[in-house]
Amino acid sequence: MATPTTESAAAETSATSLTGRGRSILATRPLLGWRTVDILTIAFLGAALGIAFWGWGVFYSGPLSAITFGFAPLGGLFAGPWFLAGVVGGLVVRRPGAALFCEVTAALVSMIPGTEWGATTLVSGIVQGLGTELAFALLGYRAFGIAAAVLAGALAGPFAAFYESFTWIQDWSMAWKVAYAGVLALSGAVVAGVGGWLLTKALAAAGALNAFPPGQEHRENRAV
Amino acid sequence: MASDVASREIGAGGGDGAGLTRARTTGGHVTLTGVTWRPFGRREPVLRDVSVSLLPGERVLLVGPSGSGKSTLLRAIAGLLETADAGELKGSVTIDGHIPGSRAGEVGLVLQEPGAGVVASSVGRDVAFGLENLGMPRAAMPADVTTALAAVGLDKSHDTPTSALSGGETQRLALAGALALQPSVLLLDEPTAMLDPGHAAQVRASVKGALTAYPITSVVVEHVLGPWVDLVDRMLVLDDDGRLVADGPVRHVLEQERQRLLDMGIWVPGAPSPSPVMPAALRAGTPGQRASSQDIEATALTIDRTVRLVDGSTRTRTAAALESGLSPQPGSATSLVGPSGSGKSTVLLGLAGALTPATGEVLAKDRPVADLSTSELAAHVGWVPQWSSSTIIGRTVLDEVLVASRALGQETPERVVEAHALLTSLGLAHLEGADPRELSGGEQRRLAIASAILHRPPLLLADEPTVGQDRHTWAAVVGLLDAYRDAGGAVVVSTHDAALIERSDDVVELSPPTQAPAVDQPRRVLAANAGPLALLLGALVAIPAGIIPGHWRTSVVVLAVQVVLAVVALWAGRGPGPRPRGRLKRVALRMVPGLIGALSVGWSTWLLGGNDLTTAFTAALRVLIIVLPSAVLLPLVDPDRLGDHLAQRLRMPARPVVALAAALQRVHTFGEVWSEISLARRVRGLGVDTRRPVALVKHLATVTFGLLVRTLRMAADLAVAMDARGFASASRRTWFAAAPWRWPDTLVVLGALVPIAVALLAGP
Repeated sequence: MATPTTESAAAETSATSLTGRGRSILATRPLLGWRTVDILTIAFLGAALGIAFWGWGVFYSGPLSAITFGFAPLGGLFAGPWFLAGVVGGLVVRRPGAALFCEVTAALVSMIPGTEWGATTLVSGIVQGLGTELAFALLGYRAFGIAAAVLAGALAGPFAAFYESFTWIQDWSMAWKVAYAGVLALSGAVVAGVGGWLLTKALAAAGALNAFPPGQEHRENRAV
Repeated sequence: MASDVASREIGAGGGDGAGLTRARTTGGHVTLTGVTWRPFGRREPVLRDVSVSLLPGERVLLVGPSGSGKSTLLRAIAGLLETADAGELKGSVTIDGHIPGSRAGEVGLVLQEPGAGVVASSVGRDVAFGLENLGMPRAAMPADVTTALAAVGLDKSHDTPTSALSGGETQRLALAGALALQPSVLLLDEPTAMLDPGHAAQVRASVKGALTAYPITSVVVEHVLGPWVDLVDRMLVLDDDGRLVADGPVRHVLEQERQRLLDMGIWVPGAPSPSPVMPAALRAGTPGQRASSQDIEATALTIDRTVRLVDGSTRTRTAAALESGLSPQPGSATSLVGPSGSGKSTVLLGLAGALTPATGEVLAKDRPVADLSTSELAAHVGWVPQWSSSTIIGRTVLDEVLVASRALGQETPERVVEAHALLTSLGLAHLEGADPRELSGGEQRRLAIASAILHRPPLLLADEPTVGQDRHTWAAVVGLLDAYRDAGGAVVVSTHDAALIERSDDVVELSPPTQAPAVDQPRRVLAANAGPLALLLGALVAIPAGIIPGHWRTSVVVLAVQVVLAVVALWAGRGPGPRPRGRLKRVALRMVPGLIGALSVGWSTWLLGGNDLTTAFTAALRVLIIVLPSAVLLPLVDPDRLGDHLAQRLRMPARPVVALAAALQRVHTFGEVWSEISLARRVRGLGVDTRRPVALVKHLATVTFGLLVRTLRMAADLAVAMDARGFASASRRTWFAAAPWRWPDTLVVLGALVPIAVALLAGP
């Protein structure tokens, strides 16, 4: 929006390119000054991933439940994709609330056509989004590398398990609940964390994130 | 109730000077001083030291070769350079002495792609978008909307769905949306480049009418100059480097700079059509080994297209009708012509087997073309989509050309040599190692054609191959098509380019198919009278209702109550219109995954919760109690109204809610994008193979990725269009549509609370 912010972005860009690897390019300041393109990108990314969620849900409740039926906590291994929207949203826009907004949008869009869990899909989205958001907040919205992505994906897991302990897994023994949380965290770390980080990189390489820090990182790395 | 809401909003949103700024209708004075813009990651600036002053009310035509920064200059004037891109900006832009965009809607902008700037699901809402951002009271909006629609001659009711408009009507809608804000500067970015001649003329007439009614400063970017010359006074010319090289009265510049303009590839009025440049590679190469037999033919047919809406329902309409058979002959070119909406692209998709005809058939040697395997299809057909950028597969240009050959196992050294030769003759040789996604639009179009024909399928299908091309790329594209035909290929293009139609051997005229008479709207079910929030709340309240019962006996009672409530909610009442059909089936279908979930939860609870059958049964019933209301109520949620209710009832922040609503109303287009990307892969031998799970997963992942890329581009374009209408500063906006809470809402929520009460009372 305002011109001055991009100058600081430019300064920031060159600063990070000087300091080399390991530092993330951050969103333009002020951090809470969401640009229109930030908001729209999160909404559209969420909507597209929501449709993907819906497709994954059909597979999850169909063929996949035949596999995981024998031992439910294993099903948690396949829950990672649900946390993807939050991680990618956070990695792309890098502002407080991006991860939560993206995950909730995706949950909402996947809920409307009908899923196995009905309206609770939305609640799951909020809870998982909070877990992911917490990770980025703990890092002060300053780190958006693969480690941050893994942490964000992993934290969605315990949040999801905590919420589900009131609904779907209410009567499991405590030990199993904890084990389930661990499995979710693992799946989240690998699928949503590493996967989300790779997806963001690929989107940047495809030139789809030019207005965002990952797009700038891609250009900086290529320029070297 | 409605007036109550309106008056409250005057208090909340008024007082930002909207009335004051709306008084002006004169043009703004635009001054650019030394504007240089370099996007990050590019070595060279896109605009270099551009200084120009546009006087109030002046009408300016801005021309230049592709990639010369014309659109960028428009964005600079609008103050939107950094809306969807990041870079380094030097120099200054002012309008009447201040930074552009200090007043919302001061600079109106119409984008090239029809629909790129559509914000809302209905015509009225879309035009009112800028007024909402200004915080105008709701009661005042309809009059302004009607005035703006009249100014562009768009005679549509406010509740016409935006998705029902043609491309030309959509462009006029965008114009109306800009005019509603009484801009002092109007910028039009190739507003007719993607339209057929009839619609293009309508848009120009609208622009002319609007500029007569509002004498504002205006800048039009176009590379077909003829029709605009009488509409403008002044002409600016940008060169390849983004420098301003000519400026003056339009006829004077046209005369003085004629040769330079022709060299740039601009369609100068009166100049003869360029002569197609035949690529040597195809002429001299091994012409169509397999192109001797005519392969694919269509009988008379109709094709239906089904749109999947966000709420899971579908809408089917007849999209194309071919009145007589079509059998593309080797060595001939056929043009499919007709106004937009006549189904030209749909027929091409049918010929490529991506859509199955509702009546008639498309056969490849006696087999339906849709039954061909992906490699068989690749061997039969080449397809050039209208959007070549989102169907790119290869990592380098050379890679991209060789995709189909590789999938067919024909990546021989000779083929690679041919690929080099083809790229050389298309002027793409120096880009062989480049990422194809970074090519210009014209380069991507040539690359797409080259990729479709290198493996020499007997039939080439090209969707609007010359749209938006300048003279040079036109000559290259047409030359390529000609050469392919001369080598024995059959070519079918959909087009409204007169020069291309003239060159074809056969012209097939399509007219918009007659639609089946609209079925009467069925009566509403009772719960459908409630708004989206009440329905959502009703579904969510089921969570406590499911959790409270501690024993399966209570659960059964609660579930029984829910079933009764569901019957009431889905009761259709009396009145006009037919009875709604398939209500039970829809609920049952939505409950199938829920039942699987219940079984799975019950079993896992038995296994991991102490092998107790009672607990397990209770847990399974809990799932059903939680999910049943969702299956009944959620299909009734109207996504188009969700945004209004979230913002006005729940007071959620306006901008994210608007973005969410805009995304929701685009979701139904995702299906089309998905099938286009799928076809682009299938027709190049990379289609889905259900027998190989790994390949299937890879295919799904790739297509999803393509969808994401396209979605992000939509978001970036829409951001520019929305900021041009004052969205950036719209923290306290008003709403075109009311979101009242009415008694059906209360009833739904009360009804949803009954199971909780039952659970509490029936419990131990």
